[in-house]
Amino acid sequence: MHGRGDLVGRSGRWCWLGLACAALGAAVGCGVAEPPEARDTLVFAPPADATVLDPHNTTDSQSDQVILMLFDTLITFDVEMHITGSLAETWEVAEDRVTWTFYLRRGVTFHDGSAFDAEAVRANFERVLDPEQNHKRLPLFEMIDRVEVVDDYTVNIITAYPFGAFEPTMAHVSAAIVSPAVATAHGRTFGRSAEATSGTGPYRVVRWTKDLEIVLERFDGYWGEAPPIRRVEYRPIPEAVSRVIALEAGDVDVITHIPPTDLARLQAEPGIDIYKAVSIGAQQFRFNHAKEPFDDPRVVQAISYAIDRRAIVENLMPGLVEVSTGALTPIMRGYADLGEIEQDQAKARQLLAEAGYPDGFSTTISTTPRYLMGVELAEVLAAQLGQVGIRAEIDVLDWGSMVAFWEGLLPENNPQEIFIMGAGASTADADWGLRPIFMTHPTNENNYGYYSNAEFDRVIQEAMRETDAEARQALYRRAQEIVYLEDPGAIWLYDNYFIIGARADVTNITQSPLGVATFERAAFRE
Amino acid sequence: MTGSLGAFGRHVGRAVIQVVPVLFGISLLVFLIVHVIPGDPAVIAAGLESSPEVIERIRSELGLDLPLPQQFWRFLSHALQGDLGDSIRTGRPVAQEIAERFPYTLRIALGGIVLATLLGLVVGVTAAVYHNRIWDNLIMVLTLVAVSTPSYWLALMLMLVFSLGLGLVPSIGVGTPLHYVLPIVTLGTQSAGLIARMTRSTMLEVLRQDYVRTARAKGLVERSVIYKHALRNTLIPIVSLIGLRFGGLLAGTVLVESVFAVPGMGRMIVEAVLNRDFPMIQGAVLVVATVFVLTNLMVDLVYGIIDPRLRAT
Repeated sequence: MHGRGDLVGRSGRWCWLGLACAALGAAVGCGVAEPPEARDTLVFAPPADATVLDPHNTTDSQSDQVILMLFDTLITFDVEMHITGSLAETWEVAEDRVTWTFYLRRGVTFHDGSAFDAEAVRANFERVLDPEQNHKRLPLFEMIDRVEVVDDYTVNIITAYPFGAFEPTMAHVSAAIVSPAVATAHGRTFGRSAEATSGTGPYRVVRWTKDLEIVLERFDGYWGEAPPIRRVEYRPIPEAVSRVIALEAGDVDVITHIPPTDLARLQAEPGIDIYKAVSIGAQQFRFNHAKEPFDDPRVVQAISYAIDRRAIVENLMPGLVEVSTGALTPIMRGYADLGEIEQDQAKARQLLAEAGYPDGFSTTISTTPRYLMGVELAEVLAAQLGQVGIRAEIDVLDWGSMVAFWEGLLPENNPQEIFIMGAGASTADADWGLRPIFMTHPTNENNYGYYSNAEFDRVIQEAMRETDAEARQALYRRAQEIVYLEDPGAIWLYDNYFIIGARADVTNITQSPLGVATFERAAFRE
Repeated sequence: MTGSLGAFGRHVGRAVIQVVPVLFGISLLVFLIVHVIPGDPAVIAAGLESSPEVIERIRSELGLDLPLPQQFWRFLSHALQGDLGDSIRTGRPVAQEIAERFPYTLRIALGGIVLATLLGLVVGVTAAVYHNRIWDNLIMVLTLVAVSTPSYWLALMLMLVFSLGLGLVPSIGVGTPLHYVLPIVTLGTQSAGLIARMTRSTMLEVLRQDYVRTARAKGLVERSVIYKHALRNTLIPIVSLIGLRFGGLLAGTVLVESVFAVPGMGRMIVEAVLNRDFPMIQGAVLVVATVFVLTNLMVDLVYGIIDPRLRAT
């Protein structure tokens, strides 16, 4: 009889290991390791996959930043948010202030080989404005009355009324021109697969495996300067810490959405560059103004003065954000610098007393972890409100439940009182940044807080139709004084930086204030 | 012999028939849960900026304006024909989305359970054989650590050491078999610990049985005593545990998938829930539940092979 110590003898052990390896090999499927990548492929890891690559039908920035690589607009923003020509070489507005004429670039083709011309522009705006097709970006273009083809390369877009924010709206990614041939062929599934996506941009989609990768390749027929990098791959990594490790390990070249806890460490690492840009994004908490006591501007002001924004920024988001200085972020058109709102607890208590709440009141702060530090922000807010006598409970909800409160609920059915909200008008303009959110609206479409101020409404409507830059700026300044200071529509906390981490050998990443990164000029350092 | 095979056939038939009401119950439960949680799928599908008319139109397109029993009937009758509807979020058929995502989850779950089984059996038997000696104690401590380590933490540690530190395996993605090493190890560790502990305790019991003493008395080599006589008789509880763990691994891969950026079912389901993509939630949960039920059916059948006595009953 063998001793027990011999049981797992040499041969036995190796036999088991061999089996284990064989089984594991079988389980993961056979494959050949990829050859070492030549440096003509850039790998970008965003936190989430794109939902749909159709500029007319998406509202999320993860889709937008891929769309920007694939499609062009008639006019576009440069990195300083100035407007320049793209598919239109020049453009002008007539005396009537409603007829905009675009003179189109010649010799432009779509990825599918069809030609770009005035007819394509008309087909695109008819597509986005067609209520039957119900594209998500229809509301953005509601001011367009009709589109007229003048000749093959001249097109008139006529608005229903003089619209002050027309150019930023046309430079918005949703005004991008898709191939009418491919859009017609695929109908509702346009932009949902590689085959069903076609634009005029510097890259085209060659493969899209949901949540795994979107592979783009340089489009050889591109009208502009050819991009230096042949291939760009989008590989979403939802977990923030993994994203950072993948960048450090060199498995990806560029990441966004770096967690605050890793930022300083990455900045110190020699192989990694951190890029920081001002953006249109801001973090707020809003109020249910239809509910007592938030219908009293003094109460809302008191809350605004009770908050120590500096402390929040320095402790929760060091280096990632700046304290807000107005109702819009400084990069946006129409922004007015109204200064930081500093904590003033005495003033807050006094305002509460004037409003009839000398001992404060009880309320609920609703938040969602979908926003960076969403729960922590609510906790700090509750603590600071407690110092002036307002007792706040915190209600943490998932995104779907949060959205349920914001849409389709009449004020009397909405139990939320103070709720978290991210802001970021993707036209980078005051009109879209203020009008849908704070103007009185019969069905409160985007006015989730039921904010209503007669003077604000009047000023906003006047500003919307004002095309003189100076007069427009004065009107928006007045509107922001009302909504930021006099009758606050939100607790304005901070403006986000848009932060990118990249391997040090990647240069020339285009970093838009809209919170999107593109790579049409990116290159690898020798 | 035919009698016993006939009994086995009946055993199989009974097990299969039991699956049907279970799946029906699951479908009903999933359907109800999706319709009870707050969050209006029509609103999310239309987008936050849509007008009420558009939202109403989408609601009727999705069939959400129909009475609940009618909606359930639609879901069930279509599902039986393999049509799980279209995803609200992506607009593509749910069945197609699942067909694309399921293989990734299956690979890491299968890899995890194979690893866990092999490791768990070897380690468990070793511990039992060296009962109360240093190897046994060491193994008991290690398996306890394996069982109680959170997979999220383990995943990041493995990544830090083996990808960032040693550069042996890629940190994220699914391009090559090497990409699967860390997810499989992460997923398999906890189950390996459980299987090892279960193997050890069952084995210890079996080793005390008379027939083991008889086998030794016959002069059989120890390896043959352990693996041919003792192990076979410890397998019943272990196989049930493996079946249950495999089901758990299939449904519980979301953390591992997120950390290693594997585009599997777990992430798809979480995303679907957050976006109230109800056709996707219903379809995916139904598929995972079906696989779970089928796995347990297989476990039932394997019992019959391991223990011939069960075929007759």
